[in-house]
Amino acid sequence: MADSAPPKPIPPVWTQLGERLTPRRWLGPVALLGPAGLWLLLLLVIPTLLILEISLVPGLRLGQPAGGYGLDNYLQILQPVYLRVMGRSLLFALGSTLLCLGLGFPVAYWLALMSPRRWRNLLLVAFILPLWTSSLLRAYAWITILRSSGVLNTIFQLLSLPPQNWLNTPTAVFIGLTYSFLPYMVLILYASLEKLDLRLLEAAADLGATPRQQFWQITVPQTLPGIAAGSLLVFIAALGDFVVPTLLGGASSMNISRLIYNQFLGPTRAWGFGSALSMVLILAVSLAIALLLKYGDRSTVTETSQ
Amino acid sequence: MPRKFLPTPRNSRLGSWPRRRFLQSTLAAAVGVSLTNCRQAITAPQGGSANDNTLHIYTWANYIDDALAAEFTQRTGTRVVVDIFDSNEVMLTKLKAGGGGAYSLVYPSDYMVSEMIEAGLLTTLDHARLQGLDNLKTKWQNPPYDPDNAHSIPFNWGTTGLLFNQDVTPGTPTDWSFLWENKEALARRITLLDDMRETLGVALKTLGFSYNTNDPAQISAAYDKLRELQPYIAAFKTTGFENEILAGDLAISMAYSSDAIALVKEDDRLQYIIPTSGTSLWTDTMAIPTTAPNVEAAYQWINFMLEPEVAKAAVERLFFATANQAAFDLLPAEIRNNAELYPPDSVLARSEGIQSISTASNDLFDRYWTQITSA
Repeated sequence: MADSAPPKPIPPVWTQLGERLTPRRWLGPVALLGPAGLWLLLLLVIPTLLILEISLVPGLRLGQPAGGYGLDNYLQILQPVYLRVMGRSLLFALGSTLLCLGLGFPVAYWLALMSPRRWRNLLLVAFILPLWTSSLLRAYAWITILRSSGVLNTIFQLLSLPPQNWLNTPTAVFIGLTYSFLPYMVLILYASLEKLDLRLLEAAADLGATPRQQFWQITVPQTLPGIAAGSLLVFIAALGDFVVPTLLGGASSMNISRLIYNQFLGPTRAWGFGSALSMVLILAVSLAIALLLKYGDRSTVTETSQ
Repeated sequence: MPRKFLPTPRNSRLGSWPRRRFLQSTLAAAVGVSLTNCRQAITAPQGGSANDNTLHIYTWANYIDDALAAEFTQRTGTRVVVDIFDSNEVMLTKLKAGGGGAYSLVYPSDYMVSEMIEAGLLTTLDHARLQGLDNLKTKWQNPPYDPDNAHSIPFNWGTTGLLFNQDVTPGTPTDWSFLWENKEALARRITLLDDMRETLGVALKTLGFSYNTNDPAQISAAYDKLRELQPYIAAFKTTGFENEILAGDLAISMAYSSDAIALVKEDDRLQYIIPTSGTSLWTDTMAIPTTAPNVEAAYQWINFMLEPEVAKAAVERLFFATANQAAFDLLPAEIRNNAELYPPDSVLARSEGIQSISTASNDLFDRYWTQITSA
């Protein structure tokens, strides 16, 4: 998301041929990058700049005359009530990312390394099949499961476990978000684990490493880019999710995406404030990506040097 | 997503290419599906120029009956194309952003009519081209949101009230105050609407103030009143409570009459009441945007919907009330006498429509609402 203008790669073949700056030389990259570049410019860069501009007009409202520029919209976010909303959104996103990682890694590990080879594709499809239904539908399904006389408590009762009233609590939000985004995590971790160099594990075992050591010193470092990519994807998606907190979260579940929605489509129509909130969300996501870039690079370096 | 984040193949394992390909395409499919799940897809309708004989209507879900639309086409030769919005604000935003040029007719609610008039988005109706305006109920002859129906024709109306499950509710509620009086017994088995004007409005009404107050002290008092109830509320939901209240996991839900009456029909244990101290009254109207092509067809449609038989058919299957007295008279007695649908005049007199309030009051409402839903 951050790097909208990737550097034009100069085809090494042509360089070797010693061609001069002929139309052929730049036509290729332009043809290859043009459509995507245009797409990014029209649908990402320009809208983001528009949001930035709107966010810098204090108190801008739809259909009302705008004043000069200023930072008031951003200062408004610093009020405790809005900071609390931000904190809750971060908590929801971080919590569900960790849950997805904890639940997704074993599944991806089994799928990539232990499941019967010929069933693998089918199993993967089965795992991502829930994604083919609407997220709204899935949230409604969780209402049916989690409500106090719902499916979950019926099962708990059969097992003589104490009934739980999880619907309309943060617990339900974590469950809903984790369920929604687990397939992404599993797919990415699977891609990473599938390429795990098993010879390194054998070598480690030959040299006397315990299974635990093998896991933490061979498997995890090798799949770290996958872990980082999966976590990032889940984090970003969970941070912006709208449906799950609204339907499952209960009376105290206001999060940043709902707050932004209320500013744009609620009675206040405070587009300026809403844009400032959106910019903060965009910055938070960009920051996460920047951290990952730095972190991801280093891990690759250490891997190669080892 | 930059490719860098995705693990790159370290050793060439030609054998694994098909699976990798498969994986990429499934991932792409998954992402594609999740993107299609995004809501609020604002699409531009095609066609709709003044020449072709099509009437583009922008309205709420379930407001245009297919059979009636077919009858209209048969009579006038005009094809009806319907687009759906799920909130007044979505409709307003689209019209303001210039994406509503194809629509000849929109269905704004009461307060939105006032705002759209103010923004110059609605045509002044030529009453000479309309037949059957006398058929409207007196309360809707000169509504506060649009004096003399100069820009909009009321189509239907409804109330906001309490839907409750008799099995799990201690007693029978008659007024909003029931919630406060029985909050402990009802703890976490109440839902209120996810709508700041309606829900803070209930607190205002309970305190004896108007839904449409601009007085900061009254709004603040309403916040305190609602804050008192907040810990006992399961959720603020406009939809998604149906399953729970049918199962008895919820005792009481604040609901719009049309949603509530549909549920009451489904289960005898459910009951809907309109609080005696009054409630909010919503009206949805038909109006012609200033940008409308094919205005003639829009007038034809309004006239068609004003016909008593048509107006009767339009409200019969859906659970909202008609603003058309002539159509009301045609309805079967069982519907006419349904106090949930058509509350007595004494209750109507104490009720008010939600109207636009000042920007400062809206901001105050919104801040308190964020605090309530974030407590």
